[in-house]
Amino acid sequence: MTDKQKTTINIRGLTFLIADSNAYFSSLCHSILRGFGATRVIEARDADDARKALVQHKIDLLLLDQRLPPTGGLEFTRWLRSDPTNEFRTIPILIMTSDTRSTIVSNARDCGANMVLVKPVSPASLYDRLVWIAFNPRKFIDSKDYFGPDRRFKIEGYPNGVGRRAGDKAVDLGTATGPALSQSDIDALLKATRNG
Amino acid sequence: MTMSKLDDDEAREFHVETKFQQYAKRPGGIPRDTAIVNAQSTVAALKPNFETWVDDEMARLLKVIPAEGPDLDTKAWMDTADLHCQRLADVSATMGYEFVSYVANNLCLMFEAVRRGADYRRDVMICHLDALALGRKDKFSRMKPEDVPDLTEGLRRVLESPKLKAKRNGP
Repeated sequence: MTDKQKTTINIRGLTFLIADSNAYFSSLCHSILRGFGATRVIEARDADDARKALVQHKIDLLLLDQRLPPTGGLEFTRWLRSDPTNEFRTIPILIMTSDTRSTIVSNARDCGANMVLVKPVSPASLYDRLVWIAFNPRKFIDSKDYFGPDRRFKIEGYPNGVGRRAGDKAVDLGTATGPALSQSDIDALLKATRNG
Repeated sequence: MTMSKLDDDEAREFHVETKFQQYAKRPGGIPRDTAIVNAQSTVAALKPNFETWVDDEMARLLKVIPAEGPDLDTKAWMDTADLHCQRLADVSATMGYEFVSYVANNLCLMFEAVRRGADYRRDVMICHLDALALGRKDKFSRMKPEDVPDLTEGLRRVLESPKLKAKRNGP
């Protein structure tokens, strides 16, 4: 596969679920995915709707608001990942958040999210993260305390360098509260504890 | 799905190739640059609705902010106001209204500081509401914060007033 092919994703025929209480934001993401070639995009406004949509529409990728009512997207992720009988337990999950404190990002990772996407969302940032999930599969870990993508992973950069930010660097996990992080800091936080 | 055992019997690791990964790698996808241009076009089609939406959100925001009086002290209104500001901040930048997004995000920071114990400053709120109204006007709607540096700096200074600043990143 060439580098160019590794920056191209074919999402026709896949079913996406956008779970966000903000209908306008949801329609924005919906439009972006349509622009990428998605043919099936479902929207949910709260966790109950999202649970129903998972089963009813056989969702392939979940875009989840961190503040999804009533208990938040992180709790939803924890619920989905922790249920051994749930057939959607391993689907890719992107947490969308405008609260980029390091605690939120590390909690998202510890709940089993694949990625954290900073709001406001741009077409480029969403496309790059979908590419990342598609071409950089991570092992799953099933342990007493955690089920989800391996949190100890190293990203050598986006395929073909696309989407790589100048500020990408390894960072230590933050303390309990702290200043907001940029998308590149968040990407860095989600990578590289194994092999530096 | 293939599985392998780790040294620790309590943890196992295994490979998963999801349907998303299988499908996404098929040939025939839309290349990145084209996909982004397509997405920008589909987003642009939402713009006529966006102006109505942003006006509605701003009206809802103004409605929940109490005048001087006992309601001001309860802080209960702040969660609703914060929600409207987050929505404005999350959507406006993607739609090209970056200054509106900046101001709305400032208000979110202010609410967070108040939740952490900072004093609520009505003058800071009014100042930002005026800036939001300005940002909605045609002359300013397409501007970025850096296009109006004096205004942006003024808002930043107000937000960084000592009492608020002390609580912004506090415990």
